[in-house]
Amino acid sequence: MARKRPKLIKERVPTPERPVGERVKDFGEVNLGYTFELAVKEAERCLQCPAEYAPCIKGCPVHINIPAFIGKLVEHRDDPDKAVEEALRIIWNDNILPAITGRVCPQEDQCEGVCVVGKVGTAVNIGKLERFVADYARERGIDRKLCESELKRVEPIGARVAVVGAGPAGLTCASELAKLGYDVTIYEALHEPGGVLAYGIPGFRLPREVLNCELDRMKELGVDVKTNYIVGRTVTIEDLLNEYDAVFIGTGAGTPKLLNIPGILLDRIYSANEFLTRINLMKAYKFPEYDTPIAVGKKVIVIGAGNTAMDAARSALRLGCDVTIAYRRGREDMSARIEEIEHAEEEGVKFEFFLTPVEFIGDENGKVKAVKFEKMKPLDERDSRGKRKIVGTGEYVTLEAETVIIAIGLEPNRILLEESGFKAKADGTLVVDENLMTSIPGVFAGGDAIRGEATVILAMGDGKRAAKAIHEYVQAKRIS
Amino acid sequence: MYKITAKEELDVRDFFMEVEAPHVAKAWKPGQFVVLLIHEKGERIPMSIYYADKETGRIGMFIRRHGKTSFDLWDNFQVGDSLYAVAGPLGKPIEVKYYGNVVFVSDAVCGQAENYSTLKAMKEAGNYTISIQTFEDRAHSYPEKFLAKPVADEHYLTTEDGSRGIKGHYLDVLKELIEKDRVDMVFGGGKLGSLKKLAELTKEYGIPTIVTVRQIMVDGTGMCGSCRILYDGEIKFACRDGPMFDAHKVDWDDVIRRDSRFVREQEIAKKHYLESKGVI
Repeated sequence: MARKRPKLIKERVPTPERPVGERVKDFGEVNLGYTFELAVKEAERCLQCPAEYAPCIKGCPVHINIPAFIGKLVEHRDDPDKAVEEALRIIWNDNILPAITGRVCPQEDQCEGVCVVGKVGTAVNIGKLERFVADYARERGIDRKLCESELKRVEPIGARVAVVGAGPAGLTCASELAKLGYDVTIYEALHEPGGVLAYGIPGFRLPREVLNCELDRMKELGVDVKTNYIVGRTVTIEDLLNEYDAVFIGTGAGTPKLLNIPGILLDRIYSANEFLTRINLMKAYKFPEYDTPIAVGKKVIVIGAGNTAMDAARSALRLGCDVTIAYRRGREDMSARIEEIEHAEEEGVKFEFFLTPVEFIGDENGKVKAVKFEKMKPLDERDSRGKRKIVGTGEYVTLEAETVIIAIGLEPNRILLEESGFKAKADGTLVVDENLMTSIPGVFAGGDAIRGEATVILAMGDGKRAAKAIHEYVQAKRIS
Repeated sequence: MYKITAKEELDVRDFFMEVEAPHVAKAWKPGQFVVLLIHEKGERIPMSIYYADKETGRIGMFIRRHGKTSFDLWDNFQVGDSLYAVAGPLGKPIEVKYYGNVVFVSDAVCGQAENYSTLKAMKEAGNYTISIQTFEDRAHSYPEKFLAKPVADEHYLTTEDGSRGIKGHYLDVLKELIEKDRVDMVFGGGKLGSLKKLAELTKEYGIPTIVTVRQIMVDGTGMCGSCRILYDGEIKFACRDGPMFDAHKVDWDDVIRRDSRFVREQEIAKKHYLESKGVI
């Protein structure tokens, strides 16, 4: 019998969002996500492209079988719990952190960007469906049950792996290895696991409870997380190699790039990392209930236009500031997710384009009071990332700023590099082979530690690939 | 987790605390520090090391009752209680080797701890060790057993008002020693203003000088850049590239100014805490 072709519905089912006036007053989540009914309605828009063709699967860095999980929601529409369990099982084959990726992936550049429905209407809202499955499963305890049943199949294989860094790459690698029966220990420098998910991404995008629940899964999987260990200082890579069969490095890109211009040492100029760490990890927005302070003036300028810049801008807004994002290129060159840019604009963040900072100007107390910018103009030429090249015009403008947040990018922290003598590129990223093994045998790496600055999902993809490679490496070592 | 194994008053303001932190005790080297969080709502505070005992897995620290966290720690944490987090060791170790006559100068709480721990290592490396410890007055000076005497071949205690030991500052004693040509290498810690003067003094005589540049930090691992300083014309992070630097290459005026960035917030936190305790 021929399959009935679903009717094409051009417009996506919207997800409810908290009203702007309410949400800018706190750090609670902005998007409220689908209910089961809405999720099924959206799922019905999926054309169910066959897996061997489906562009969304190819567009996904970890190749989740997207039509299959979406199909389960429609197939079991009369039994929501079953629908979600089946969908989650499919997602987990490739992605252990769907509640997170459903929220932070740049879907418009990945799965949704190539969705066939998107060619005639708006793409299926894959991100929000993924998030729905994870959220519903968490709220009903479906994820825990599924995890337990999967764990029953795990046989300990008597080998140990150390994972350095409890961010997206490390968590994924650790959970994949645990599922293969490895005894895994994660070493984390900070006092809480999560990496950039904990210190970088604000609660209004990724609520802390959601993250904590995903982190609890590590415990369920039997992964030991040792916090307050700075690998390279507390223990060396050599120490770890003596104790474990293999090591995975997922230390991310943790060092902020700062502008090398006059006035960089003035008070109230923060790296986005410092600003966001104070707020997210240390909860400075609850000061003095929490001990870590944040000092901001009314007028804030954020320099940069990536996701981190949007996060910093919207966090500052929630502290009651008047926020302007200043970007050296144009509107269409901004690298942030579209949803974040839209949310920032809705919430009242202002944008200034084609401005490059040349000097920070301070007052008599050493506090920043203004930023001097050179006006830029775009050229017809494009750079390697497809962005328009820009040149200075020789014209300058000075904007008032009582606080400046620099969000121009990150690079790997060199602590490990200096300690262990890895082969690395000039920017500090570790050199790895096709199996993600570094120049030190038995030591693998992935995520921003090898990519410089990429996405959560790419880091997770590396973690998964590395787990597979580590498994092969350990097996081979045992035979020889 | 990180159990408090000893706690003792040093003077009317400072106290000594020993904590179980085997991962730190095992790996610590002179020049390195730790970051403490006293409870889940706490801030991450950098702390110098008085000693790190590999055998017992314990570290000793000198702490000043200065802000909210240190008051809270003194008032509410007793021997047997645990701290929420002890991370470390952090920072770059200094080079422990034979220099000849090595002096350590200090005039504040963290510096007094470093005075002992640094000279202990330097003495073991065969150096002739000279300790100069400056306190404001007798009431703000430490008991004998917490001075750096056991690791110093020569020990000087000064108070600024002369109420105990020599009257004056470590700068005065050091200058005399230098003029007698008895100093090959200087290490220092404590007040930033004094370290600036120390840098000026030893630069004049061409004596290598390495000091602790204490700056406000968040993570302490090189992730936030809060502790950035200008060093030899370049931006360095005190937590990762230091905290001990060549004193002659540090831009001291910026370092001193950046140390007071959160004075207003520190006062708010202290007031909030003291009010909650019904003290004020």
